[in-house]
Amino acid sequence: MDIKIGVSGINAVDNPGPGIGVAKSLKEVRDFRAEILGFAYDAMEPGIYMDWIIDRSFILPYPSGGHDSFIKRLLFIKENYGLDFFMSVLDSEIPVLIKYSTELENYGIRTFLPTSEQFRLRSKDKLDEIAKSIGVDIPKSEVVSSVDELIKAVERIGLPVMVKGAFYKAYRAYTKQEAVTYFSKIVAQWGYPVIVQQVVSGEEMNVVGAGDGEGGSLGMVGIRKIWITELGKIWTGVTIKNEKMLSSAEKFIERYGWRGAFELECIVDLKNDKVYLIEINPRFPAWSYFATGVGINIPANIIRKVYNLPVIEYKDYPVGKLYVRYTDDLVTDMERFQRIITRGESL
Amino acid sequence: MDRISHLALNEEGFIFDPLTGESFTVNQTGLFILKRLKEGKKERDIIEEITDTFDVSKEEAERDLTDFIEKLRSYRLI
Repeated sequence: MDIKIGVSGINAVDNPGPGIGVAKSLKEVRDFRAEILGFAYDAMEPGIYMDWIIDRSFILPYPSGGHDSFIKRLLFIKENYGLDFFMSVLDSEIPVLIKYSTELENYGIRTFLPTSEQFRLRSKDKLDEIAKSIGVDIPKSEVVSSVDELIKAVERIGLPVMVKGAFYKAYRAYTKQEAVTYFSKIVAQWGYPVIVQQVVSGEEMNVVGAGDGEGGSLGMVGIRKIWITELGKIWTGVTIKNEKMLSSAEKFIERYGWRGAFELECIVDLKNDKVYLIEINPRFPAWSYFATGVGINIPANIIRKVYNLPVIEYKDYPVGKLYVRYTDDLVTDMERFQRIITRGESL
Repeated sequence: MDRISHLALNEEGFIFDPLTGESFTVNQTGLFILKRLKEGKKERDIIEEITDTFDVSKEEAERDLTDFIEKLRSYRLI
């Protein structure tokens, strides 16, 4: 079976998008053949030039530009080149795709994303409710919308605190002054509300997984980041098995009937045997190829589920496997760059 | 939490904790002790095995074992 799969987030830069890892995973399967269409927002996204992974690339207009430009571009690609499935991996695209998923499906472009109710769960002000229902803790946190509320929250929680945007950005503040500065910075960039959160101690651990939308898992892997870059991105990691974290991820899929990929960010306090849920991302993380590398090919299982191919029931994965990211160089002709600039397509 | 029984030990003294992803290195004596703690052996039996295997007095073995166990405790391995 040949499937033309659009993959976004092919910006394999110092703050990498998840697309290349997902595309690599899809290229490795044998039970179907994935032709990868790379969806980029800038002509300089490296994936456009990585033709051993991305077969053909297209520039998309920003999803914030609204339905007409974004959806019409996808339809144009579908009509002219064929596009069966859109594996979206970017936060900015997902709400637009969820909204228009039925329309896209009518045109023959399929997706496998959370429902809009599930998508709303990712909001940091919903974490408390989720944590309780899946048997983990969250750091004490308060949602604030003014400096006054911020100061009161900091007094209740106690310094240091994390000051976070509802979806993006997080800063650690050691003084009230710092907390106010970060609050203003987040409001200026991302708007209200802002979350003030207790700093908890422990090891940062993550889970990548996917739900089948019916309460079942399409695979999951737990990791610990060993080394991160200045931007906080993983550079070296190791697979681990923290039963409490993995079982809460399973409960998360089951309880919410989660559909599609997700990443749980946790802090595990071994001393007090507590798992704190820090964040839920409704998409693949940039390191998702790590799971494929240890035998759990989650993107491929999503495609299998959508196209009624036999889904692989992943039972186990090896612990102590190491993930090492590295940089590479590529030399190519100007041609592809010219084409992507002038035509918005790489071939 | 019983972390010690989960530890993966290699013969060169590299220790990996699959629950946390942490790794440690120990010398051959440390490895000797860890292996026995992992098997659930009692401290007094380990001391006996140390004195049988290495050229040390019982007092020295006791002191070293206590120190080592304290170290493991500080890493919350036991």
